[in-house]
Amino acid sequence: MKTLIKIKPKDYKVGDIVKVDFMAMHPMESGMRKDKDTGQIVPAHYINEVNFLFNDKMLTKMITWESLSVNPVLTISLKVSGAGTLKVLAKDNKGDNVESSVAITPKG
Amino acid sequence: MERRSFLKGFGAVSACAALVPSIVSAADEAKKVTGPNEMSVESALAAITGGKPVTPSTKVSLSAPEIAENGAVVPVKVSVESPMSANDHVKAIHVLATKNNNVRCANVYLTPANGEASFATRIKLGTTQDVLAIAELSNGTFLSAKQNVKVTIGGCG
Repeated sequence: MKTLIKIKPKDYKVGDIVKVDFMAMHPMESGMRKDKDTGQIVPAHYINEVNFLFNDKMLTKMITWESLSVNPVLTISLKVSGAGTLKVLAKDNKGDNVESSVAITPKG
Repeated sequence: MERRSFLKGFGAVSACAALVPSIVSAADEAKKVTGPNEMSVESALAAITGGKPVTPSTKVSLSAPEIAENGAVVPVKVSVESPMSANDHVKAIHVLATKNNNVRCANVYLTPANGEASFATRIKLGTTQDVLAIAELSNGTFLSAKQNVKVTIGGCG
């Protein structure tokens, strides 16, 4: 699972509310789709938990299901309280764990 | 009517009658492909609210397209009016697609550090249906918003 975190806008100050986009490259198989070549049902494979931590403190916890689109983008808000690290831990139902992080550096 | 033609006609009708139920049952079975986490709206709501009432409110704004050409990618945005203080904040936002096999899309548990109760993502919709957003407030009440999305091509193929 490849992941990417984006903070919008790029320039922000302490006290601003920014948007955090978490993107993951993931097939998000629903477990209901049939493979066109083999006729077999493709087993479910989806991200089931995403945790956002700011300076190791829980910011947002998400339980997700197979109804999310392929390569999901999850957007939340963050009130910038100071400099620090935003860490995102994502898990899927096959046990794949990915940790990614981005530095929060407010200007001024 | 001659006996011969009568029998012919009768035979044809009975053959059709025999075929029809088998066609119907085959179609039913084909439809019965269920996902691993199948869940109805009623049971999902009961699991989220624990039987508490959910009131539709203008404080919850749900934005989704009225017509989605491709059900595989439907952008959904939920935001809830809230000061997001320690005493008064939105604890969770739940997004449900009411006619999907598994209605649950995402349960998002927020904290006051979010500064704003908002969540956006893209979901898959199998057919034309209502998308439901439920906000759980820190005082234990539940607010909701709903929008119908017409889907031209289903996204759960």
